[in-house]
Amino acid sequence: MKKDYNIETLITNFKNKDKIALARLITIIENEPDKAHEIFKHFEDVKHDSYIIGITGSPGVGKSTLTGAICKKLLEEGKRIGIICVDPTSPFSGGAFLGDRVRMTNISLHPNVFMRSLASRGYKGGISRAVFDISLLYEAFGMDLIIIETVGVGQAEFDIYNLAYSVVVVLVPGYGDAIQMQKAGIIEIGDIYDINKKDLGGEDIAVQIEMMLDDSTFQSGWRPPVSMTDAINGVGIDDLIQNIMDHKEHVELSGLINNKKKNRFKYKIKELIYSKIDRIITEKLLNESDIDEIINHAVDDGKFKIYRTIHNKFEDMNFDIKKK
Amino acid sequence: MGTTFSYLVLGVLRMSEKKIRVLMSKPGIDGHWRGGIVVSRAIRDAGMELIFGGFQNVQQIVEAAIQEDVDVIGLSIHSGAHFAYTQEVIDLLREKGVLDNIMILLGGVIPAKDFPKLKEMGVANVYGPGTLTKDIVEFIRTNVKK
Repeated sequence: MKKDYNIETLITNFKNKDKIALARLITIIENEPDKAHEIFKHFEDVKHDSYIIGITGSPGVGKSTLTGAICKKLLEEGKRIGIICVDPTSPFSGGAFLGDRVRMTNISLHPNVFMRSLASRGYKGGISRAVFDISLLYEAFGMDLIIIETVGVGQAEFDIYNLAYSVVVVLVPGYGDAIQMQKAGIIEIGDIYDINKKDLGGEDIAVQIEMMLDDSTFQSGWRPPVSMTDAINGVGIDDLIQNIMDHKEHVELSGLINNKKKNRFKYKIKELIYSKIDRIITEKLLNESDIDEIINHAVDDGKFKIYRTIHNKFEDMNFDIKKK
Repeated sequence: MGTTFSYLVLGVLRMSEKKIRVLMSKPGIDGHWRGGIVVSRAIRDAGMELIFGGFQNVQQIVEAAIQEDVDVIGLSIHSGAHFAYTQEVIDLLREKGVLDNIMILLGGVIPAKDFPKLKEMGVANVYGPGTLTKDIVEFIRTNVKK
């Protein structure tokens, strides 16, 4: 039972629009980030012109169902769509229960859609490390639109802002009062706001959001619109799509798209650098058992020297890196 | 807003190890969810990535298995149609050229006398009522080579 993960073969098949090859390249990138450069050297001339939409919001607000409903309409318009859905990895077992695809069964056989479920694998910020890489593969595969659905997020997981050109923040009736709306974080990153499950009410939330937006200034000249949907019954989806497309037009015509694209690449470059540092530190300075030793010392022996030990470790390390 | 960044978590790369990926699916219309959910949870708790497919037809199962690049397909069948669905899934996986890469496991209310024939068809193992979830997990761990 050995799958063919030969990169050269997969690239050839990928270029012939083989979904099996796309799926396996995703697996390689997810499991072996060190091989990314071998894969992407084949795609250096790819135009990055897929439009990327992010869908975010708390757990259970209907992100997956909304994504499915949006895609259904856009597929009817002939769009080619790549979907990335992220769900959390357990900090205890390292396993994950990925339950996004099950909400989109009705579009899963459409020839113009490709959907991949990802586990966050310890990555913070509401996405997973591989999300950017997969968005590149989707671009190379010729997708018109890429939809990234985040983990069900709390208040401060908004990395999607760096990866998507239009961010939809999904809320539900009962979200909170005027004070909640004033908080920093997730509530301020929306380019579009949607109140889902409108069959349960939510007019008050819509008003609160509108008031919050009225208090805000928008340097880009875009004032986020607010829509209300009942995704499971397909109600209000046209309004939401219209809002997304209006924002897309704004981003493209204003030239904002270039900044967003640069920000997206910057995010990845930083991640690549940090992951290299992470590896160097773990291999050369402090591995898991070194950390355990410091902790045991603090708890079992009553010697709380956490600050001093870490400080000294880094003082001792030779950071002279030869630059070519 | 500049580039927000919440990456720096020491050791996050170690989470990038190869994970076993399992698709749990219920072919056809048959409302007995509990078994599939319980086994899915056990697979999650064993450190694997479980993609919950729910109700799917045969084409949807195979397409999901391909796009998610899974190592195992678990079919939860309580309708008595285990021969028909299993054969269709196997045939379509073969047609798509991925049969050799995916292990098929079957669970549900399936008579023990049907086990040998199902295994002959290409099912790796069959789990009836009373199965311990740890046996399923152990079987997957042993037989999926990553």
